[in-house]
Amino acid sequence: MDDLLADFVAESREMLEAIGGEIVAWEAEPGDRARLDAIFRFVHTVKGNCGFFDFPRLEKLSHAAEGALAEVRAERRTPDSRLVNAVLAIIDRITLMVDAIEAGEELPEGGDDFLIAALEPDTSDTGETVAMQAATTQARSTGGNNAAPRTIRLPVELLDRVMSGVSDMVLARNDLARRLREAGAEPTLDGPFERLNGILNDVREAVTKMRMQRIEMLYNALPRLVRDLSAELGKQVMIDLDGGDVELDREMIEMMRDPMTHIIRNAIDHGIESPADRLQSGKREIGLLSISARQSGNRITITVSDDGAGLDCAKIGQKAVAAGLLSDTELAAMPDDQVFELIFEPGLSTAEEVSSVSGRGVGMDVVRANIERVGGSITVTSNKGEGTQFHLQIPLTLSIISALTVSAGGQRFAIPQSYVEEIVHGGARAIEFSQVGETRLMTFRERRTPCISLAHALGLGANEVGQKQKLVLLRLGPSQLFAVAVDTIHDQEDLVVKPLAPAVMQTGIYAGTTLLDDGHPVLMLDVPTLAQRNGLNAEARTRATVPNANGNKSEADKTRKVMTFTGFDGRRKAIGMELVVRIDQVAAEAVDRSESGDKVVVGDTIYTLLGLEPGCKLGETVRLLRLSDSQSELSYAVAELEESVDLVEAIKPTPEEPGLEGVVLHGGQPLRVIDGFALFARHACQPVQLDRPSCRIPGDDDWASRMLQPLIQAAGYRIAGEDEEGADIVIAMDSHAETAASDAAACIRLYSDPDEAARKGDGVYRYDRTGLVDALRRARQEKVA
Amino acid sequence: MSALYVVFEVDGRLAAFDAADVQSVIEIEDIYPVPQSPAWVAGLTAMRSQSLTVIDCRLALELPAAETPGERAPVVKVDGHQYAIMVDAVDDVLEARSDVLPVPGGFGAGWKRIGKGMIETERGPVLLVDIDALIAGPCAKAA
Repeated sequence: MDDLLADFVAESREMLEAIGGEIVAWEAEPGDRARLDAIFRFVHTVKGNCGFFDFPRLEKLSHAAEGALAEVRAERRTPDSRLVNAVLAIIDRITLMVDAIEAGEELPEGGDDFLIAALEPDTSDTGETVAMQAATTQARSTGGNNAAPRTIRLPVELLDRVMSGVSDMVLARNDLARRLREAGAEPTLDGPFERLNGILNDVREAVTKMRMQRIEMLYNALPRLVRDLSAELGKQVMIDLDGGDVELDREMIEMMRDPMTHIIRNAIDHGIESPADRLQSGKREIGLLSISARQSGNRITITVSDDGAGLDCAKIGQKAVAAGLLSDTELAAMPDDQVFELIFEPGLSTAEEVSSVSGRGVGMDVVRANIERVGGSITVTSNKGEGTQFHLQIPLTLSIISALTVSAGGQRFAIPQSYVEEIVHGGARAIEFSQVGETRLMTFRERRTPCISLAHALGLGANEVGQKQKLVLLRLGPSQLFAVAVDTIHDQEDLVVKPLAPAVMQTGIYAGTTLLDDGHPVLMLDVPTLAQRNGLNAEARTRATVPNANGNKSEADKTRKVMTFTGFDGRRKAIGMELVVRIDQVAAEAVDRSESGDKVVVGDTIYTLLGLEPGCKLGETVRLLRLSDSQSELSYAVAELEESVDLVEAIKPTPEEPGLEGVVLHGGQPLRVIDGFALFARHACQPVQLDRPSCRIPGDDDWASRMLQPLIQAAGYRIAGEDEEGADIVIAMDSHAETAASDAAACIRLYSDPDEAARKGDGVYRYDRTGLVDALRRARQEKVA
Repeated sequence: MSALYVVFEVDGRLAAFDAADVQSVIEIEDIYPVPQSPAWVAGLTAMRSQSLTVIDCRLALELPAAETPGERAPVVKVDGHQYAIMVDAVDDVLEARSDVLPVPGGFGAGWKRIGKGMIETERGPVLLVDIDALIAGPCAKAA
């Protein structure tokens, strides 16, 4: 909203500046049609924009001026000096109001009617007009000192040039730093160089921010896309966008546009069912597609979730077998979440019928490739009948990549940090090497992982994988891991990556080049292509992991994965990882504490909240573990979240403490393991869907549908249909107040006259925004309670 | 004619780039090879904290590699990428004494692909090189 408002102010300003000259010229020659048109366009645009915002006075003024000018244009009126004066006075007043809007002040009081009256042809008192003009001019000179524009528009290419200039400066700085180091201490240079260094870092940060755009830029096109697609497919889909103020690199936004569009197409086409099917399975006719963005560190997480049918595990499996991606036995051994990941494999499309919307099998594999190309990752989770969630993780910016520098075959290379899972020394005792055919395998943490020698892959040496080398474990997909053997690992650093010449790009195994601080050019490896070139394609990766999951089952049984945390009672606890479906963070206000049991609102759902101690203090936000037994969900508040660990020690049962499975020794300290079974046995219940309360507004009233509706929706209501009965709240206009429906729980009366509203005391003046919002909020709270 | 040309020597012959296309002439210090890249891409090198792609002119012409590569290399910019062109020796910057002329009798196999024509200079006739074609390498011949 603030952005839109700033745009409005900026646009009005620009136009005011542009027509400044026209106004003067028109004053000198009122008959000039071109000038008249320019001024007419201005007041018309202002009027149009005002309809968008809540500026009734501005709208009224511009409407009046537009009306008078339209008369002149239609040659029903001649522009006499009085009319010119009146129009100019109105334009001055508009300028004044725009200033006030920008400064966030109240609009200057009164006098509007007077200005509007002055436009009327029958106004005879010219003296008053002049006085009025004097008054506005005076007001303007007091308030108009901040008239300098706050923003300027710049071509994007210019920004890019500045950005690349700054990147080059950083590299030149690094070069200079190296030479200074080599030359030895030089106090007369070190001081100024440090200063330059500091300034450059500031500039670089500022320029990076300049390139940042709100993810809203990506969001803006989505409602229309969803509307068009759902209309085409005969479905009803509502879109909910969250986190639009998250900022990321403009280039990254462009890179995300296609993958996002594709995921949304898929969600609407395959995910969300037809209205009839939805009703049958007890859902609301309208499907919900929610997209949220969050920033964590230097990465952005975008979640696209729908409340559709969910992924069909069996169907995906069948398709995968049919497409020859894996065998029946392998499929049988595969856990569901790994089956879901198969949708990212080339050659899978789960739709029964191929529609025009989401094509034929080309799709999710391309989406994944594109996201990985920019250093991101994508995963999917799904519950049958409840919906599907895609989680996209992308870096903030494309041009600076955090990377690991390594040496192989006497040369240095950079590996994007986003792929790096772990680094292990080949000599470590936990590692075993073996060779099957030409493929080298290494066994680490009971997982057999294919291993390639980087030097060999690049043609720089023999396929030696051994104990002298360091192994970098790289993660391609959620379950696809491979190791790259290198000679030395140098450092992890943030690199400014530059594109490579086409002749070098042709090789496909490099993603870019960069200069290290010591002035050496270094090639950045393109990990997915590297894996593919070395036979680590989807098939090989799947095969490599599945027998493992199978063969080590008995061993896996011995260990249990748990999530450890500190509870609000200050004790270290753990809960079985299989129960934890997600981690939420909510504002403290979302927690409702009461004797009968705590509740928490996450999104649109109320969960039973466990884990709070009576009287314990909450911070601004509360971290929650969302637990699920696959039927119902609970929320568990934790004071501090730790990590997921594998428990090897036996759990010592503690029958004297109900709710605890037992205590286990971990890291030398006792860890209390919560009994998930008991937890759900006691507290399991379906989360309550928080229905948006409905609100009925007078249907035949233009003002209501134009002005009131957005306000009410923003307050968390949905607008009740014309013939829907029993709305939660009814808004009645004063003219129809008596006919207000009695079936509603609450009724808010609106009066068009503030005095009348004050006199009657049972309603709100219709432009009293705060009053109205308060009344709506009160009604809503009563309902929830 | 007052157009200037950077004249250099490859395999005993004189060739030239339009001086307007040449940003500078540098002395290549270290070349960092790019594994798996085409043969005529000698590697990367750093110039004033920028990285350049080094093109071996002889290999791009499918000539045998030089025994001792020349020390100086002209730097050109094509499509936003900077290249250092390894030649046997950078000769001089000369003024052309003629328009670009067709060569009587043609250039011969490797040269034909990169030759734009011939110019007369005070050092005699010089082959004018099409930089784009040179950088595209022998593969582009098929296309």
